[in-house]
Amino acid sequence: MKRTSLYESHLSLGAKMVEFGGFEMPIQYSNLKQEALAVRDSVGMFDVSHMGEFFVSGKDAVKFVDFLITNDFKNSPIGKAVYSPMCRENGTVVDDLIAYKLSETFIMICVNAANISKDWNWMNSHTSDFDVKLVDRSEDYSLIALQGPKAFKTLKSIDDQLEDIAYYSIQVREDGDTPIIYARTGYTGEDGFEIFAPHETIMGLWSKLLEKEVTPCGLGARDVLRLEVCYPLYGQEIDDEVTPLESGLGWTVKLSKEDFIGKAALEKSEPRFTNIKLLLEKGIPRSGYEVVNEAGETIGKITSGSMSVMLNQGVAMARVEKAKYNSKSELYVSIRDKKYHALRHKGAFVNGGHK
Amino acid sequence: MSKTPENLYYTEEHEWLSVDGDVATIGITDFAQSSLGDIVFVELSDAETTFEQGDSFGVVESIKSVSDLYTPIAGEVIEKNEEVEDTPEKLNENAFASWLIKVKMADPSQVENLMDAEKYKAFCEANS
Repeated sequence: MKRTSLYESHLSLGAKMVEFGGFEMPIQYSNLKQEALAVRDSVGMFDVSHMGEFFVSGKDAVKFVDFLITNDFKNSPIGKAVYSPMCRENGTVVDDLIAYKLSETFIMICVNAANISKDWNWMNSHTSDFDVKLVDRSEDYSLIALQGPKAFKTLKSIDDQLEDIAYYSIQVREDGDTPIIYARTGYTGEDGFEIFAPHETIMGLWSKLLEKEVTPCGLGARDVLRLEVCYPLYGQEIDDEVTPLESGLGWTVKLSKEDFIGKAALEKSEPRFTNIKLLLEKGIPRSGYEVVNEAGETIGKITSGSMSVMLNQGVAMARVEKAKYNSKSELYVSIRDKKYHALRHKGAFVNGGHK
Repeated sequence: MSKTPENLYYTEEHEWLSVDGDVATIGITDFAQSSLGDIVFVELSDAETTFEQGDSFGVVESIKSVSDLYTPIAGEVIEKNEEVEDTPEKLNENAFASWLIKVKMADPSQVENLMDAEKYKAFCEANS
């Protein structure tokens, strides 16, 4: 199993380590709830160095990335980041990613750890019509996410040069082959930064942030936080079997674009599933539990579920069959053979404070 | 180190039993509540449920996990602690003060196979 550059620090902080995406990662330090609340109320940080970083360079860099993903990258200004699924010809999702436009000829793409080799192979199999060079720098970069209402102030206090950039924007430092990238992005719904840098730089930054009493947070807190704001997770809400239109990501599919992989299939597709959000009066929904309508018919499954630390109620996202789903029907989640009433929730369970 | 009262029996599933005649009161240990973290949901079998040794008599859930509770003895539930179902955080506050179920044992000699405090302490150390 792989380890990140911060592995020793996690152990000395008493983290409980688990396997995630081929890496040994901290799931929790002392208390998941306190970690999650630190991010909502103050500031917390996550080691997410397991994620992959690819760099695309060359004359056709923008054109190539725009062809790979469903969202609009071509018209995005330099210095902006774009979230998007990357689909197959049949519209199913290879991965979801964020593409960062460093220049018109230099782009960083951040991908899920578990999908690094799948994505790498996929992207490389589509370069033939483009003047691009693709490099996998995942081994050279560490990544930390500093998240919470106090993220900017805290980072600024140890880093004068930090700019108060807009949401989904980047500040690039130390131009060259291995740029240091500050991105105003995250996976918690709160304001914050994701900082991509070489291992030594990240280890130094992590230590300084610990001295500033930033709460180190594990993947457990990260998963609850992203579920509260209804961000999808690859392998749960989205995967090899479904299209973005079947997983609540219709907003990322720009059919008006000239062309992209999967466009033809998505244009004529009739979504089989829809992604719904459920809030339980009692009981805690978990991934895999069945969603049942008032007639007792199973209409789908929970893709992510947990107790919300902000609401103290069970919250979930579910994939239900469109043909069986009626928005007027009462819904239930089947938990250990008992039916728990679930309220259909519109929008996120928690409104994060991001810019 | 977790508290481990002397007068109780212990299981490898981190449960404690207090025995009075043929009635066993079952709860989870301090080690169990501490490993689970914030306990946010408890569901227990109702009175009159009967089970064999090793059957599940309920679940405790933390924010991110679901753990089954297994009975180390056969018998019939005579009472469940509804208060702990309503306020599961009590298990984090004091696991030994918050019992879960009381069972009329089918075979009280089954408790003899369980660990005493000394053995359980050693078991926890070996497994932590």
